[in-house]
Amino acid sequence: MSSSMALFSPPNTHLPTLSPSSFPKPHLTHKPYIFLRPKNPVFLSKATSDNGAGSLSSAATAVEPIAEPKVSQASEPALEKNETSSSSNGSAGTAKEVEVVSKFEDPKWVNGTWDLKQFQKDSKTDWDAVIDAEARRRKWLESNPESSSNDEPIVFDTSIIPWWAWIKRYHLPEAELLNGRAAMIGFFMAYLVDSLTGVGLVDQIGNFFCKTLLFVAVVGVLLIRKNEDIGTLKKLLDETTFYDKQWQATWQDETPGSSKDK
Amino acid sequence: MASIALKSFVGLRQTSPENPHFAIQGKPIINIQPHHHQRRQRLHIVAGKFSPKVTGRNLRVAVIGGGPAGGAAAETLAKGGIETFLIERKLDNCKPCGGAIPLCMVGEFDLPLDIIDRRVTKMKMISPSNVAVDIGQTLKPHEYIGMVRREVLDSYLRDRAKENGATVINGLFLKMDSPKDGTTPYVLHYNEYDGKVGGTGEKRTLEVDAVIGADGANSRVAKSIDAGDYDYAIAFQERIRIPDDKMVYYENLAEMYVGDDVSPDFYGWVFPKCDHVAVGTGTVTHKGDIKKFQLATRNRAKDKILGGKIIRVEAHPIPEHPRPRRLMGRVALVGDAAGYVTKCSGEGIYFAAKSGRMCAEAIVEGSENGKRLIDEGDLRKYLEKWDKTYWPTYKVLDVLQKVFYRSNPAREAFVEMCGDEYVQKMTFDSYLYKRVAPGNPWEDLKLAVNTIGSLVRANALRREMEKISV
Repeated sequence: MSSSMALFSPPNTHLPTLSPSSFPKPHLTHKPYIFLRPKNPVFLSKATSDNGAGSLSSAATAVEPIAEPKVSQASEPALEKNETSSSSNGSAGTAKEVEVVSKFEDPKWVNGTWDLKQFQKDSKTDWDAVIDAEARRRKWLESNPESSSNDEPIVFDTSIIPWWAWIKRYHLPEAELLNGRAAMIGFFMAYLVDSLTGVGLVDQIGNFFCKTLLFVAVVGVLLIRKNEDIGTLKKLLDETTFYDKQWQATWQDETPGSSKDK
Repeated sequence: MASIALKSFVGLRQTSPENPHFAIQGKPIINIQPHHHQRRQRLHIVAGKFSPKVTGRNLRVAVIGGGPAGGAAAETLAKGGIETFLIERKLDNCKPCGGAIPLCMVGEFDLPLDIIDRRVTKMKMISPSNVAVDIGQTLKPHEYIGMVRREVLDSYLRDRAKENGATVINGLFLKMDSPKDGTTPYVLHYNEYDGKVGGTGEKRTLEVDAVIGADGANSRVAKSIDAGDYDYAIAFQERIRIPDDKMVYYENLAEMYVGDDVSPDFYGWVFPKCDHVAVGTGTVTHKGDIKKFQLATRNRAKDKILGGKIIRVEAHPIPEHPRPRRLMGRVALVGDAAGYVTKCSGEGIYFAAKSGRMCAEAIVEGSENGKRLIDEGDLRKYLEKWDKTYWPTYKVLDVLQKVFYRSNPAREAFVEMCGDEYVQKMTFDSYLYKRVAPGNPWEDLKLAVNTIGSLVRANALRREMEKISV
């Protein structure tokens, strides 16, 4: 496993950092945002009804999910106090009967997975809604980490959502931009090369150098989608070579050691 | 495919195996005149061959620190006919440590089976959204991860060194005087306790020809050769005695929790020990928040350790990378003192013992079984061999940590990936036997595609999550 990971690690490393930063722009003007709008308030009210039975802290979380980080911070000292008192007793911090058991609850979340039957729309599963629901669940879990349990295992797996659902959702708006950009760059490059060297478009395609140029342009368009991406890529490169440098340090400062030995 | 990948890693190193003389030589490649270079190398060999004989006695080597590294080094030295002194401050020290050893260590170091408290055959990885994946289904019946208590393992290795002729000194190493030239001995200063409890001990000195520093993360030997510092992670661990009915679950199972709540750059764990469990977590970047992470780890394992009593709380540093200088003159560092702990898994016992042994072997060989003095060149052979053998392992784990521990979506993808049987097989093979078995190219490709798929999906969800908060 490790070996193949090694082989493919560079693209992997890019993905997590690249993708979050690369999308907000198109989305601002695009429809996913529009259809998210009406949904959010629905979620708010739903959350309230779900957690209404909870105690003060969880109720606060429900009323204002946006302020969740703040709320969880506020509840932190309480937890810690709880913990210090219990550890001074000598018993484990597991003695937290006082703490509210907050679990993610949603009518569509059944037995550790999303009940796909409830996501039917026109006798087809509405995968977009599933993605929304799972995103909300993870968001919630991030501010309210849940205890793991063997009795109620989580069986939901994102891979049950078909690939075209993801592509439809994320790729199309982005692809339009990238295609447009690549086409423009390609056209001007061809023009430039033609005007400088006199090699026509047809000959360029057969030329190895021009093929390489084309490849570089395509990769460049894919990797550098925004100006900040250049910085991100640089940082990534530093990060990947950092560990090597730490190891090589032994071999670099060797000269003083061996000269002393002489 | 695997081999190609590994080769490319080795290639990243400045001192790649193809030209090992740079390692001996050590100057940046650019400044080296070919002629000069040739001459220096020849000189080196000559020096080794005609190094002065030790007369009237055998070569004396002190091993500072009696952990796995020190114990293994002392044993090998003593067996090789070298007069060995092992200095250890606390002979019953139970170091805070996960205590997991790979299967191959049992064979390579000939460990008796009764020092292994538990045989872990199941691992559970638990993702930030609590998806639990069982790893270890691919293990064969005789395969397991051994859990040891460090006090037991350490004293066993020390005793064996003693049986082979090493002198074990219960003392605290203070400092050492470095000699002016290559033949006069090092003078070590230490406080001898001689089995007495309490008191400051007697000040003693010891003359030796070479020193192996195996005294852990806060190494005094490293300080005295000005070895430089490394970044370290802090590991926090609570030993919790849990009710018997809960312990049944942890009989042969270890748990790993990943998530931003548990640790921003490492994992939280529940490891079974002899009669209790160790619950802990570690971090490099947010050391101040370690208590919070520990609380979160306990919270994630809540139901499973309910009603437990904390019997011990411990914290200790874990090196992140080797020290800038791992040897000088006739002093070499091994184990944690040198910084040999892997990233990602945080494993160190096996590598400590192995490096101790490798260093001792270099000394035995260089001194022709204690008959000749050694010099830095002899010790360098150990470093070279070490880096050549294990650098790929360290690098792969570093890459894994960087890719998969960087954010919650990456961790989700990691756990998803660990559900794959092929991954489990490869992971365990490389963990248990410390060799990277050549994979099946087709499976590798499938794995890569699946992993990228998992990462993309998890990150897509993350984007969605960000939108919710805005």
